[in-house]
Amino acid sequence: MLESIPTELRIIAFIGAVIVAVVALVALRGEWPKTRLEDHVTKIMMVLLTVGCIEVMLVAIGTIGRVK
Amino acid sequence: MAAANAHAVSDAEYAEVSGHRLLGFLFFLISDCVIFGNFIFSYLYLRNAAPLWPPVGIERPYLYLAAVNSIVLFGSGATMHYAMEGMRHDRRSQFIGYTLATIVLGSMFLGGQAYEYTHLLPHTTWAGTTFGASFYTLTGLHGFHVFIGVIFLIVVLLQTLRGTYTQERHFGLTAATLYWHFVDVIWVALFFLFYIY
Amino acid sequence: MSVTHVELPASSHIHPPPDTFIKKYVFSLDHKVIAIQYFITAGLFLVFAGLLAELMRVQLMGPNNHVLSVAVFNQAYSLHGTAMVWLVGIPIVTGAFGNLIMPVQIGARDVAFPWLNMLSFWMLPVAGILVFASLLFGAPQAGWTEYPPVSLQLPLGESLSLWCAGVFVIGVSSTITGLNFLVTIVKMRAPGMTYTRMPLFVWATGVTAFLSMIATANLSAALAGLFIQHNFGVPFYDVTRGGAPVLWQHVFWFYSHPAVYILILPAFGIVSEVIPTFVRRPIFGYKAIAYSSAAIGLLSFMVWAHHMFTSGLQHWEQLFFMLLTMVIAVPTGIKIFSWVTTLWRGKIRLDSPLLFVLGFLSTFTLGGITGVMLASVPADAQEHASYFVVAHIHYVLFGGTIFGIFAGLYYWWPKMTGRMLDERLGKWHFWLMYIFFNLTFLPMHWAGLMGMPRRVATYDPMFAGTNLFVSISSFVLAASILIFIYNAYRSARYGEPAGPNPWGARTLEWMIPSPMPYYNFRDVPIVLSGPYDYGKPLPYANISQDLAMTPVR
Repeated sequence: MLESIPTELRIIAFIGAVIVAVVALVALRGEWPKTRLEDHVTKIMMVLLTVGCIEVMLVAIGTIGRVK
Repeated sequence: MAAANAHAVSDAEYAEVSGHRLLGFLFFLISDCVIFGNFIFSYLYLRNAAPLWPPVGIERPYLYLAAVNSIVLFGSGATMHYAMEGMRHDRRSQFIGYTLATIVLGSMFLGGQAYEYTHLLPHTTWAGTTFGASFYTLTGLHGFHVFIGVIFLIVVLLQTLRGTYTQERHFGLTAATLYWHFVDVIWVALFFLFYIY
Repeated sequence: MSVTHVELPASSHIHPPPDTFIKKYVFSLDHKVIAIQYFITAGLFLVFAGLLAELMRVQLMGPNNHVLSVAVFNQAYSLHGTAMVWLVGIPIVTGAFGNLIMPVQIGARDVAFPWLNMLSFWMLPVAGILVFASLLFGAPQAGWTEYPPVSLQLPLGESLSLWCAGVFVIGVSSTITGLNFLVTIVKMRAPGMTYTRMPLFVWATGVTAFLSMIATANLSAALAGLFIQHNFGVPFYDVTRGGAPVLWQHVFWFYSHPAVYILILPAFGIVSEVIPTFVRRPIFGYKAIAYSSAAIGLLSFMVWAHHMFTSGLQHWEQLFFMLLTMVIAVPTGIKIFSWVTTLWRGKIRLDSPLLFVLGFLSTFTLGGITGVMLASVPADAQEHASYFVVAHIHYVLFGGTIFGIFAGLYYWWPKMTGRMLDERLGKWHFWLMYIFFNLTFLPMHWAGLMGMPRRVATYDPMFAGTNLFVSISSFVLAASILIFIYNAYRSARYGEPAGPNPWGARTLEWMIPSPMPYYNFRDVPIVLSGPYDYGKPLPYANISQDLAMTPVR
């Protein structure tokens, strides 16, 4: 069923990825000056989250990702 | 009652004990990473040993559902961060709202994964091929972690409603947030390994 | 150093003293009681696993004996190895010695998470019961490594699930202990105790804790893989469906090679404590010993495939793992030379702890040398799976770990129980054990080089003489442990009170009464310099000086 609507799914994924990436980067900027241990961990997590979003964006525009 | 107990210890003592617990919790996450690392190594090893990947007659999992599902999970990471920001600035309603959003998004991810398992992989079974073995073991292990994370979040949400955590004293929430971020970040790796690589 | 602005820990107490028998002796949160629980439980498993070894030696007294069936012989060596590594060695060196001594040596009142500590301990009997219960259902027969495909064949692997579950439980326990100890060492050191003022036993325990945490988590995953392969047919290791038996060897040894350092590093720590005390001079190369522990810890993750030279590795892999394995001999050698230099021209007091340490030094060095021989790929192709390997592993794990454990037991017994062990019996124990250890395991080197394979119930008659000799020696070796048990009983019954510091040592555990009081320290001590400067004033403030200055016996 889902295979029949790839374009819609790709658009949703792309828009979602842009939003989450922006949010994650804003959060990273907010966390940057903080120095406690959990803040440092949060920074790493936000960077990796952004990487994940970039992954999804590239998949949505068809640069990477395996369909078959 | 719980709140009264929490205040029996001094602020300095609470800070010291939660410092120990934070480090211990991070060590736990590191050892959990090693568990995922072991299965990822196994997956790469088996994939490298196979003449054809995925094996004959096995289709890849559907990319674009996984992409949307990934964004659902990554989005839950963002909402969790803002929930925690609410707690740090003593904005209780912000915390409750964003935590609820995180729980909903986490459950949606699990729903998407269940749909993928049941509808999109008709020929792939856990015990059938090395592809199924590594795919279901790793994503299943991850899904189990998400499930535990959802339960964890529901518990800390209920505790917050009962007044267990305050602006200064919320180690349980810190742990839940870190755990949730950890689960997110593991998915970044798994999404790459199974859908892109 | 000024002591005016040191930061004292905020928590004045960690958990209230126990008020019932159950809380005090069974589900105790006190690290010292948990240590003794570990000693007793693991000691019991040592007797079981030792008896399995003696059963094998009875079978091997003749080339074609029928004391044990082949299947039972296979089960015996599988469970002997499993139990000795996971139920005896690791629990004693980490759980028992780490718990007993490490928190006191850093000036803490307990470990960071006493409740987790209790949980870790109680996983040990559960794991022991699971592993030994598999004997009732036909224990797995593929050795302690349980290589597929043999371990997956029926009926050989009938109770593999029990074995997996047992080892999984003790693995989780070991991971938790590692995490707990690491947080304790990072967070709970007394004021002034910088990392380079920590006693060397704490350094060893810290590195071990790191290895336990990382490597043992990997073991849990590997065992889960074997378990689902065995029970649900998930084809990780089944070659007929694309799986790879060699994959199991990789994931297993990625744990089990660090595991041998988990077993030996605390023994290194014990040696580093005993030598300066009985030589009355500062340890030579404190930092060299400390940092070489860390180097060994890191290198141990990069050498696992030297167990697999005959499993079909690429040539570059063989070369890589061969060279890195030989590199490990460097930090180990640094330690050995530092200890020998400390002994050199010292005023040596040959009490039983030091005797065991000297035994350790000689046997462990020999085991280390055969280790380098085995690391060489062409030699290993000949020696692999022969009695040479059996001899090597027993020289490092018996001659290293067990001698280290006994050195530690004789050293800290007065601290643990408040009473002295009998010195004359201790010397008898040492000499019998040392001589018959060598008579048991030294001939195995030649048997192995002559081609006797390990894990066989019957063998070529040309090895009959050697095996009979080895078997008889091994009986005396086992009997020598009875002297220790009698000595312990005698000490409990008639032993003279030890006093706080019978050896005149300088680490913090000797600055408090023996046996150690519930909270260890009345006041949290303040540390002013390193622990081994014999001949200088004690480097501690806030301790009871009259206790610390009691005369050496």
